[in-house]
Amino acid sequence: MAEPLPPGLTAERMSDALARFRKIVGKDWVFVDDRVASYHDPYTVPNDAGLHRAHAAVAPASSEEVQALVKVANELHVPLWTVSRGKNFAYGGAAPVLSGSVVLDLSRLNRILEVNEKFGYALVEPGVSYFDLYQYIKDRGLKLWIDVPDPGWGSVVGNALDHGVGYTPYGDHFGMQCGMEVVLANGEVVRTGMGALPGNNTWQLFKYGFGPYVDGLFSQSNFGIVTKMGIWLMSEPAGYRPYLITFPREEDIEQVVEIVRPLRLNNVLQNAATIRSLVLDAALFTTKSQYYPGKGPIPDSVAKQIMADQEIGMWNFCGALYGPPAITDVLWSTTRDAFASIPGVKFYFPEDRKRRPDILIHRADTMRGIPKLTEFGFLNWNGGGGHVGFSPVSPITGQDAIRQWRMVSGRVREHGFDYMGLMAVGFRELHHVTVIVYDQNDPAERQKLDELFRLMVREAAAEGYGEYRTHIHYMDTIAGTYGWNDNALMKMHQRIKDALDPNGILSPGKSGIWPRHLREAKKA
Amino acid sequence: MTHIRHLILPAALLAAGFAGPAAAADPSGQALFAHYCAPCHGDSNGPGTQQLRRSRGADKALLVERTDLAADYIQYIVRHGLKAMPPFVPSDLTDAKLRTLVSFLTSPLPRTAKDQSTLPPP
Repeated sequence: MAEPLPPGLTAERMSDALARFRKIVGKDWVFVDDRVASYHDPYTVPNDAGLHRAHAAVAPASSEEVQALVKVANELHVPLWTVSRGKNFAYGGAAPVLSGSVVLDLSRLNRILEVNEKFGYALVEPGVSYFDLYQYIKDRGLKLWIDVPDPGWGSVVGNALDHGVGYTPYGDHFGMQCGMEVVLANGEVVRTGMGALPGNNTWQLFKYGFGPYVDGLFSQSNFGIVTKMGIWLMSEPAGYRPYLITFPREEDIEQVVEIVRPLRLNNVLQNAATIRSLVLDAALFTTKSQYYPGKGPIPDSVAKQIMADQEIGMWNFCGALYGPPAITDVLWSTTRDAFASIPGVKFYFPEDRKRRPDILIHRADTMRGIPKLTEFGFLNWNGGGGHVGFSPVSPITGQDAIRQWRMVSGRVREHGFDYMGLMAVGFRELHHVTVIVYDQNDPAERQKLDELFRLMVREAAAEGYGEYRTHIHYMDTIAGTYGWNDNALMKMHQRIKDALDPNGILSPGKSGIWPRHLREAKKA
Repeated sequence: MTHIRHLILPAALLAAGFAGPAAAADPSGQALFAHYCAPCHGDSNGPGTQQLRRSRGADKALLVERTDLAADYIQYIVRHGLKAMPPFVPSDLTDAKLRTLVSFLTSPLPRTAKDQSTLPPP
């Protein structure tokens, strides 16, 4: 099918824009027609093939080229959908919210500008992946660890900007961000925090500088294009001891989370640990058909067989201890004693795990910042390949955890899917991330997924739970749940959008934030 | 170590095991396979290998052992994706790199995969 044009833009004007883009970046770095296919959402949700389709893509190699592209886009009113590396696959990949947008692909801004071992940080461009940064540090023998999300090919900058999480003590990626360089919609370049002070040597050391702290405005937003970002890195600890604790009953989640909260608040749990469900872990290395030939969610008898085969529980708590043995020994005994009261609990270190491949052996790498793609194995569970993340946030209480688990697992199973969820322990909250694995080539299954997702959003919001991140197809839906005081927050976002980007060229629709002309068109 | 102000180098090139201007570099297909493919297709436990074992059979599970893959087919799958595998954008895995990668995957056996996902810890 012909790639769509954005609303209000003629083919002639788009053609003019692309010609001028080619003069800026070179003809080899503007992608049109069949070359745009790589920018489509590979795990599409809607059955309307016209949604979320880019018209073209352009890949600059420097901040200066980004500035020049933005100026042309502003002049001709061409919407640019910015991606760092476009690997945010559970949430839309490189595809835009608004069909007809030109993807501004920052993959070629891939320079590691500085890695500082003494102070523990890196300054990188958005095209730098976790694999790249890991390899760079390893090649130089630096005593630093990075923190990685499950897929290691994503952008260090992009993941932090989308509020992604990892699994070391530095697991809150945006929390570890320090200092940005941003190209605004008018082409002006801004440095945040200490970066605004000429000649400073603290841009990646102190976040706040002087005056309003604005970095958050450029996360999950469309107010500017981040072209450089500082990220704090963890010093290699004196010791490292990953562990796995398994629990045999789904209802155990209530007691587990009640135990987790004081451990986390007292820093006995040092890292962003995860409590993962049976099927999510089993799916990494085995497929559903190996255990169950039927349709729909696996029955309890099959769940018990998987638990026995793979020595895992209905819930599996993956954590790690960091530091010298004198410290980690005490932390471990405290942790073990706290969980020992749960009937059927089992404790494992890597040396206790004999099966290969094994979930703890795999996650022992992730919790020390080794980037991998192993988690993509769960997409093989039913062979369909598609996946979408549903990610409500909750307090760290047993009552909230079991309520959320009942709500989500119940609806997921009613709709014929297996529950594949995890609860990631933040500083004060749980991210309850459920991946729904579906057959992306089956329109009926996509329709069922869409109905399920919207139902879960409504039910979660009714209970006071909101999603922290979402797929491009649901950005308006999620934004609509954050409506306190007559949508005051969204109104403020819109005022900022209109002030910084009056022509509305930057990522229209990102996080439900639309520029004025498209808001008015939607009303009409 | 005090402040380390390294030369500005394309990170992907560094990861592929060499340094220098992108235009002058000619990375080997094996290095490209290690960087772009091996995290999923490098060994018997990779998610890509598992998917191929499930859908095509054990004898077709490992890409480096395949002799039945046509160049056009590889290029199409890389650019469009297949099942769980997403596409690779041409800004990152460029056409020139893809041609080198295809040459590697269609070259005579034996070929070896260097699995980046199993590199030793830092």
